Amino acid sequence: MKKLVMFLFVIVSLVLITACTEGTSGGEGGSNDNSSSDSNNDNSNGDSGKDSIVIGFEADATTMLGSWDVNYINQAQIRNIFDSVIDRDPSTGELIPALAESWEHIDELTWRIKLREGVKYHNGKDFTAEDVKWNIDFILDEDNGSFYRSRWVNVEEVTVISPTEVEIKTSVPFPTLLNYVAGDLVIMEPEHVEEVGLDEAAKNPVGTGPYKFVEWSRDNYLKLEAYDEYWQGEPEIKNLEFRYIPEFSARLSAFLSGEIDLFKNIPVDALQELEQSDNSEIGEVASSRINYLALNALAEDSPIQDQKVRQAINYAVDVDELLNSILNGYGTKMTGPLSIINQDYTETEDYGYDPDKAVELLEEAGYNPEELELTLDTPSGRYPMDSHIAQGIAAQLQRIGIEVSVQINEWGSHLEKIQNRQMGDMFILGWGPAYEAQSTIENLFTKDAPYSSFYDPQIEEEIKAANQIFDPEPRLDAFAELQHKLVEQGAWVPLWQQADLYAVRSDLNFEPRVDEYFQVFDMSWK
Amino acid sequence: MLDFIIKRFLQVILVVLLVLTAVFFLMRLSGDPVSLFLPMDASQEQIEEYREKNGYNRPIFVQYADYMVKAVKGNFGDSIRSNEDALKLVLERIPATAQLAFSALFLSLLISIPLGVLSAYKRNTFFDRVGVALTVVGQAVPSFWLGLLLIYFFAAQLQLLPSGGGGTPIHMILPTITLAAYSVARFTRFTRSTMLDILRKDYIRTAKASGAPTGRLIMRYALKNSLIPIITLVALDLGTLLGGAVITEVVFAWPGLGRLLMQSLLNRDFPIVLAGVFVIAIFYSLINFIADVLYAYVNPQIRVK
Repeated sequence: MKKLVMFLFVIVSLVLITACTEGTSGGEGGSNDNSSSDSNNDNSNGDSGKDSIVIGFEADATTMLGSWDVNYINQAQIRNIFDSVIDRDPSTGELIPALAESWEHIDELTWRIKLREGVKYHNGKDFTAEDVKWNIDFILDEDNGSFYRSRWVNVEEVTVISPTEVEIKTSVPFPTLLNYVAGDLVIMEPEHVEEVGLDEAAKNPVGTGPYKFVEWSRDNYLKLEAYDEYWQGEPEIKNLEFRYIPEFSARLSAFLSGEIDLFKNIPVDALQELEQSDNSEIGEVASSRINYLALNALAEDSPIQDQKVRQAINYAVDVDELLNSILNGYGTKMTGPLSIINQDYTETEDYGYDPDKAVELLEEAGYNPEELELTLDTPSGRYPMDSHIAQGIAAQLQRIGIEVSVQINEWGSHLEKIQNRQMGDMFILGWGPAYEAQSTIENLFTKDAPYSSFYDPQIEEEIKAANQIFDPEPRLDAFAELQHKLVEQGAWVPLWQQADLYAVRSDLNFEPRVDEYFQVFDMSWK
Repeated sequence: MLDFIIKRFLQVILVVLLVLTAVFFLMRLSGDPVSLFLPMDASQEQIEEYREKNGYNRPIFVQYADYMVKAVKGNFGDSIRSNEDALKLVLERIPATAQLAFSALFLSLLISIPLGVLSAYKRNTFFDRVGVALTVVGQAVPSFWLGLLLIYFFAAQLQLLPSGGGGTPIHMILPTITLAAYSVARFTRFTRSTMLDILRKDYIRTAKASGAPTGRLIMRYALKNSLIPIITLVALDLGTLLGGAVITEVVFAWPGLGRLLMQSLLNRDFPIVLAGVFVIAIFYSLINFIADVLYAYVNPQIRVK
């Protein structure tokens, strides 16, 4: 009996162990061989002639459709497969040619874009002006459900002038259109999408970009390979994998063990561990994303509606101290509503830290700081150290006697509270990436904009007027004027341009971009 | 017997519907997904248009009725984020989760039954005390902490095993250990106490008195009789393992159902969350249902009660 039991036990064990191996693994069809062979490659750091890279990512893409989901996670990945018509300079954020060679505006309602010749898709088809029209129409077609459509509603018609020229007509003057062309529009191969349908195209993308699609295993990895006929030349790194690791500590461990070569968003309190590692470096860039403390003048019966109270808070918050003590100096201080790399940026006056002046202003406004109680809402984990920053601001305001209660919100409810005008006196929010004034100023300082926290009828009139100006110089002046006025009004406490921090293998040539993308074509191994 | 089965089965359906209802309302109370999906520079008009198009502006009970009618027909809607059939996305993840759950279950049984039996047999010895202490620790350690600790030592420091991801047997080792830790502790304690109960029974004493060898006594008389309650516990735990591997899957980037649910919850992708909860509730209720029916079959008294 004993022997029989033992025998059965061994048999069952063997069956179970076999059942738990490759053949049955997770329905990720055919992925197993690749994964195991890749693990071998990944551990070969330092070998000469390394031609593959693994980038650790916090989340999976939702779709491989271009111009569909407004989501940085998607963009950072698919922009290796698809090209944009207009690109951004990686360090200055300026518009630069990509599939477009040049562009000009014909009149206030018309833009003409000249396209590059000789560009081919991964399936061998030629890229033409018709394809640009098809892709813009794809965004505009309500049936396709592109989340970008809301930004493009002012586009009236796209006309193909010649195989290399396309004209975009808008219903109102739309001087910032090119920013949307650069930010939203990537070119999918139209015939492929029409042939296989949207559902299939969402899993199997064909573009003109430097990398061809190989395999996508949901919540596991995305594998791409170099497209040798890429119009800018052959990519140096032949194989590219995005591996999805949601947990930061696990991402860090995967980096330290050599499984991944690059990842973004290192919390500042974890930098030390990476700095001590021999084969890694920290990449840093001042992102075009801005962080601010909104002083919610739209809240009913709030002392914040008083300009002097807002100014007082500006004097009482010590931004330098927050930057240095909580963010270890990682961030670029701002004094106005726009970041320094914003094309419409103008230098505004810095309130500086002056608690006495703050108390004086509060008293002038009729408030005794000791009796003032304010609320401060913050998300947690959305921006670097966001809830710590909120606590820091509360502590600073308490120094002059203001009692601040900090409320930490889940990200979705935080946004909803702002939209539904349920926010109390102050809240923390980030904005961007923002490269021009209108998308920030119109969206954050007008009465009806969903994420606004400020309204002044006079300023709103001026914003509307500035939006209509098409010529660059008067437009720049109008927005410069607005920036000064908003600072004077104490509409926000501007905090900083966010610092994007990357863990980078030290033998990788990689420059972090201001738009947060990972363009692997620009990377190489030393 | 048939009456009993039908009655129990109706209860299963009721439980699943109640679970769906509770999750539906809890999720909707947290708000709608619009603010997370549209670009932040979308205007109020566009936000309203989107709400209307997707029906989020209707009264919540109308949304609920509409949802339940469709769900009963097996239509859980499309994922808001990816536009794919939500139930299909959920079902695609089951094999990965099942693989992890079964291997964890197997590992825990492999360790816990011999350990529990030995603990009971060597009751009140040093060995027993260490065993009991370990099971207490095993049940108390949070799985994410254990997972991170394992990753730190075996992946980052020793570089022996991958820190996460799925696909090959080697990727399974760390998540399996993490997921099994709690079950090992639970099963060991349970085996120990069941064995202790049985070892005190008269027939064991009689067998012992009649000179039966120890091995035979334990394997044949005691363990065999304590297996039934252990099997029940295992069946219940399997449901928990299948549904509850969320944290382990997130820590180890395991592409299973738990991780899909977590991601979808953060995104407020309601159709996926509800389809996922539905599948887990069905699993859990069916496993209980089967256990109950088998019990009733073995012990007719249960049917009468």
